[in-house]
Amino acid sequence: GWAWAVVLHFFLVNVLVMGMLKTFGIFFVAFREEVGGSSEQVSWIGSIMSSLRFLGAPLVSIVCRGLGERPTSLLGAGLVAGGCLVSTQATSVPFLCISMGLLLGLGFSCLYQAAAVMTAKRCRARLGFSNALARSGMGLTFLMAPFTQLLLDFYGWQGTLLIFGGIMLNLVPSSLLLRPISTRHSSAKTQGCESPMAQKDPETPDGGLDGTTDRELHPHKAQELPTTERLLMSHGKDVSDPTNPSALGKLEKPTPDRSSPETATGAKRSNKPLSATKKETPQPLLDLSPLKDPVFFIFTWSFLFSHLAYFVPFFHLVARARTLGMSSMDGSYLISVAGITEMLSQLLSGWVADQNWTKKYHFHVTYLVLSGLTNLLGPLATTFPLLLAYTVAFSVSCGGFMALVLPVLVDLVGVEKLHSYLGFAAFFAGIAAIGGPPLAGWLYDYTQTYACSFLLAGACALLSPLSFCLEPWAQRWKLKRARL
Amino acid sequence: ERNISLANATTVELSCKLDPNFHLRNPQVTWKRGNETISHTTKAENSWSIKLVIVDSSKMGSYSCIVKGDEEIRATFYLHVPKIEAREKPIITYEKDTAVMVCKSDSTPMTWTWYMMRGNNPVIINESLWTDKYLISRLSANVTRLRILKLTKEDAGVYWCEAVFQLGESERKMELKVLSIMAPLKPFIAIVAEVIILVTTIILYEVYSKRKGK
Repeated sequence: GWAWAVVLHFFLVNVLVMGMLKTFGIFFVAFREEVGGSSEQVSWIGSIMSSLRFLGAPLVSIVCRGLGERPTSLLGAGLVAGGCLVSTQATSVPFLCISMGLLLGLGFSCLYQAAAVMTAKRCRARLGFSNALARSGMGLTFLMAPFTQLLLDFYGWQGTLLIFGGIMLNLVPSSLLLRPISTRHSSAKTQGCESPMAQKDPETPDGGLDGTTDRELHPHKAQELPTTERLLMSHGKDVSDPTNPSALGKLEKPTPDRSSPETATGAKRSNKPLSATKKETPQPLLDLSPLKDPVFFIFTWSFLFSHLAYFVPFFHLVARARTLGMSSMDGSYLISVAGITEMLSQLLSGWVADQNWTKKYHFHVTYLVLSGLTNLLGPLATTFPLLLAYTVAFSVSCGGFMALVLPVLVDLVGVEKLHSYLGFAAFFAGIAAIGGPPLAGWLYDYTQTYACSFLLAGACALLSPLSFCLEPWAQRWKLKRARL
Repeated sequence: ERNISLANATTVELSCKLDPNFHLRNPQVTWKRGNETISHTTKAENSWSIKLVIVDSSKMGSYSCIVKGDEEIRATFYLHVPKIEAREKPIITYEKDTAVMVCKSDSTPMTWTWYMMRGNNPVIINESLWTDKYLISRLSANVTRLRILKLTKEDAGVYWCEAVFQLGESERKMELKVLSIMAPLKPFIAIVAEVIILVTTIILYEVYSKRKGK
């Protein structure tokens, strides 16, 4: 149903946002020649753009919670398109810094946050696969580079930015697809997404179906449900009795044949947690609770290091190929192989995670450890076949863990609080993202070999899953605190 | 092979050194320019060199030292005026905009001149004749800049900058393209139209399904 529309939108966001960020390098050359300014000044534009994407996340999460996802996404699309259009009039680098860097960066973070959370809200059962599907949009960005170059040759940078503004405007109708979830719709929607599980009980009518599926899922996922949701469940049980008559009235699809109290309370219970959410948590717009949550630190620690581990090798892969004596054709071949492998492994990993053979973060940890080992062995790759093997292994593990970032977060904290958690986590990741490439560059200058950046990436990748070992303790700690 | 770029009158010494591991019994080394042999060669331990005094462009060109042993080995030096760097790709500008063309060289030339192609004839761009159209400024000793204001379609074409050195001239061609504002605007409007159609469709669909729900 609508869940696929949301995935489509997220896919488009990934393609356009990542495409813009990656093709900025091509604009860089054009800007330097035409608008003037030193290399350093022009690269500020790019770094403001990509860092704001992360750093703006807490602000955006507030806006999202206040306005809702759809308006935020529309705002983001408007910012991006507007930023592109304004930049066509740019005459100096500081102007471009603000118009392109600031506006586009903020717009991107609005779009990304809204799309990610909406995907998490819409597709609970197949989150891994849909997340991976949407992220595969990043793989298509390699098409944007020659396209941008073509446009630049035809129309100059101003014309290209104008056309880009138009392309970004396409995000407006796709943002309209992010229909807000109301309580009535959500019970039907969760039904839609979880239908593979519900098909085991084809006889129960709709109202009962809610109850039975909920009851089936909750014991099944008892380990995985974060404590907050369990609390809401128990709260729901307490609330359901006094509001018995009104709850029956609230049922959208009443059970005509089965008036048994069992199915009715079952259906009520499924509705109750959702409406209880609304009553119980009038969360303040600026929600600092993630900062007090140990689970958040676990996640952010891992997110930070895994991001560091992800970007650095890609930056230096081509350079390393060159220093080992391979041509730049070989280098770009490596990059495209990496891109395609990563896309495929993302899809595979998302699908595997959705099968729920074990907790999602176990997969995450496995991929991270694999990528760490691969990176540590990376400096041993000195010929083209070995380097190719390294690239394939690395992108398989990278794709694996990248696809699982969102599902793991959802598993850890639940969907209701996703905005604030994602916002703050992205903020910290943004700090890492700003520091990562310069740090790698400094390492190269210091050691005169690219081998160190791979070792660094390997070390980071091995550091990040360490925090997940603490996860069971953190959950217990949270439970204890909640019981007090 | 070596490229040597010279701007002003200097004395240049070119030498060919033989690798001592190459046991050639009686190496015969001659210096040639084109087909004529140069006589004033100086011989040192394992190297042969010539001294050239270069005052004008007639002395520029390629000089080679030829070693006759079992095989003939040749090393060539090219003496030339400094090359000028400028934009390789065509410069794309829009009507009523300003075009900027910059030429840069390694050494300081005596003068810089800008030319443009009118019909089939090169025309010198004389700043004083069209002060509100062309602005030539010397950004530094080695860099010159031509700015063309109020561009029109007729301004499109080939431009080049010429640098005059003591030892000769060097030039670089650039192409200027002038587009009208409508050129990129057409695809843009097409995209905006498509977006509006999509948006209207989605809004209509939502209104329709809400009415159906009621």
